[in-house]
Amino acid sequence: MANDESWFGKFVNELHEKPWFKCAGAWTLVPIWARLTPVKPLPGGVRPSIQPGDNLQSMMNLIMPLKTENRSPIGRAAAALAIAKNRDQIFAGLDNVGTVHFARFVIVNDNICMFSVYDGDFTNYIRDFIATIGSAFNDVVKLVEGGDAVTPCEENVEAFIQWIHEHDLYQVPDTPTDFLRDQEYLEGDKAVSPVNDDLTLLPRKLVLQLRANKNVSLGSGYRAYPGYSVAQVRKQLQLGW
Amino acid sequence: MFDLADVQGNILRGYTGKPHVRYLILEVADAMAARRWLAASISGRYHGVPQITTGDWGTAKPETCFNIGLTYEGLRALGTPSSSLAMLPNEFIAGMTASAAKLGDVGHSAPEKWPAPFNEPKRIHLIATIYADKVEQLEQIQQRALDRNALTLLGTREGCTFPGEKERDFVHFGYRDNISQPRFEGVPDSQRHPDRQPKAPLGTVLLGHPTNLEGLTWRVPQPAELGHNGTFNAFRVLKQDVAGFEKYLDQAASFLLQHPRVEELLPPGNEEKIGKGLSRCEALREIVAANLCGRWRDGTPLALSAEIPDPKMDLTDFDYVGVGDSRCPHGAHIRRCNPRGGQIVQRIANNSRRLVRRGVPYGPPYDPAKPFERDEPERGLLGNFIGASLGAQFEAMSCDWLNLGLQDPRITGSNDPISGANDPRTSWFDLPLTSGDPIRLHGLPEFVSTRGGAYTFLPSISAIRYLGSLTT
Ligand code: HEM
Repeated sequence: MANDESWFGKFVNELHEKPWFKCAGAWTLVPIWARLTPVKPLPGGVRPSIQPGDNLQSMMNLIMPLKTENRSPIGRAAAALAIAKNRDQIFAGLDNVGTVHFARFVIVNDNICMFSVYDGDFTNYIRDFIATIGSAFNDVVKLVEGGDAVTPCEENVEAFIQWIHEHDLYQVPDTPTDFLRDQEYLEGDKAVSPVNDDLTLLPRKLVLQLRANKNVSLGSGYRAYPGYSVAQVRKQLQLGW
Repeated sequence: MFDLADVQGNILRGYTGKPHVRYLILEVADAMAARRWLAASISGRYHGVPQITTGDWGTAKPETCFNIGLTYEGLRALGTPSSSLAMLPNEFIAGMTASAAKLGDVGHSAPEKWPAPFNEPKRIHLIATIYADKVEQLEQIQQRALDRNALTLLGTREGCTFPGEKERDFVHFGYRDNISQPRFEGVPDSQRHPDRQPKAPLGTVLLGHPTNLEGLTWRVPQPAELGHNGTFNAFRVLKQDVAGFEKYLDQAASFLLQHPRVEELLPPGNEEKIGKGLSRCEALREIVAANLCGRWRDGTPLALSAEIPDPKMDLTDFDYVGVGDSRCPHGAHIRRCNPRGGQIVQRIANNSRRLVRRGVPYGPPYDPAKPFERDEPERGLLGNFIGASLGAQFEAMSCDWLNLGLQDPRITGSNDPISGANDPRTSWFDLPLTSGDPIRLHGLPEFVSTRGGAYTFLPSISAIRYLGSLTT
């Protein structure tokens, strides 16, 4: 970090704020950087925490691009109908799986998105859903790019869960060191590797990462109260669980 | 139909008559030689490589038993085609250390703290297990198994059941273990303790058979002879802090002695019924121990007899509904691991996460006459948690049920009292009382810590033959 304060270091690190650079950078510099320092896409979803309470109310942000032939008002309507048709099933599923707080389906451009808040381990959540309302998943996923390879989900459980995981947005941590740790984690196969905490590199690293992960979640969602499970809330409200 | 002779014996049989168990942790030194070794292990004809014990013993009980498990790295080192490797489940490919946070392998239990050979997980390729009556037999079989051209011995682990006809089912912490197992149609050994739980479909423990989750099938790695009738195992070296456990029982008993509602927990005069000659404090210790596990130390289920241990009670024929529900703490170890028919949050999961457990204690029994010596030797459990899906069974149980308590809002946010990664600053456990609110215990430390382990694939006999015949 000897040249931290050097004019060149300062120049490079402030580049992303300059309007001329934004243009030149996007088309030329970033691809060159990316060639020189290849960055792998970071996996989506929350990382399991060692604090039991932190594994409640986790957010899933699925962005699923519709198949090319469905990228039209007709295709988007088909996606909307697939959800509407399965409405009752989805409610039944929420009831039986018991670990989902909220689930929303949203169409953004030609993507069908599912945003949900769930308790516990991600793979258990998806697996339990496959077991209860697999056919509803199938109806939606078969409209989506790459969906044919993993449906019917009941017969492709492992591949389906992996596919969903890959479509879940990377959650950019709130603290820079956690972000750098995520990057290091992906590089090495060790559970913990020494982290390069040189924060002056952060802007560059973030740009490259956002090139690899085009859509991301900023943070892991913010809550107005500590995490409680669905059943804890239902019990407290005397709704039965 | 399914052929017992195609399945490795340790999956469906407990080998309860063989007290000595040794694990050989091995690395493939040469792929070709290792494949020859595998081929020999099912024919038993080449250089005396011990023969793999199958599930079909015919008329003669084998004198010793020998079984193997392969890690992902092991399958790769043997030259398994990449198309087959790609069909293995993610958690198996990534290996046990990658699931550390889910399994509670943090702090003292973190993989970085594991001693050799578990400090180099990628080098662990094959884990062979020898089961015998005598230690000398372990030696003999080990000699025969070690073909230096084929395999490098990275380390061993050895366990032994406690000596004595009565003691052999007991484990450190003083509980009777090896009682509950899933029962399978057509598998005689699994019927040892009939109960009222639904029989487990074979797919609970073998790939290629129907699972408990209706319509769901786990991916069977192809070719079929590789995956079919195989299964996965979580091998765990679990260190038990027996001195710490006993000390905690003291601490909890003194707390309870002062508690205004202690008489509900232990009506005066009941001490004798809990154990011969027990003082009030000693009886309370036993009550705490029983509640943490869900069974009295002699095995009596609390769901059947919450007040006193009763050897006349059935060991497994109980459920957590009605009186059984209120008698057994929601957070007790066996209830967390298997909620049976009791109410849980994940309604579809009551019977779908069951595991076949094969464990043996290691280290000398703890001597209460010499407690709290500085240099307690390491002791614990060499545990095998077997199921057709690591993700849907072992990991699901460890992560959501043991470590988070997600299945019941009354225990959510607390860890398993026996095997959980507890921190005394935050841990708690509720002792149920018939009159209403439970008594909450605090300050449980971590009694069990992980000292190694690996996810292995337990191949069928056909799979071993297939692997032995690979030529690449
Ligand atoms: C050293 C650590 C452990 C000790 C001392 C221990 C002890 C016990 C004991 C005494 C029982 C009752 C005996 C029986 O029902 O057969 C039991 C049952 C059981 N344990 Fe553990 N255990 C340990 C770790 C684990 C772990 C890590 C798991 C799972 C990930 C687990 C899963 C089970 C299951 C599934 C049962 C059977 C419950 C039933 O079907 O009712 N145990 N354990």
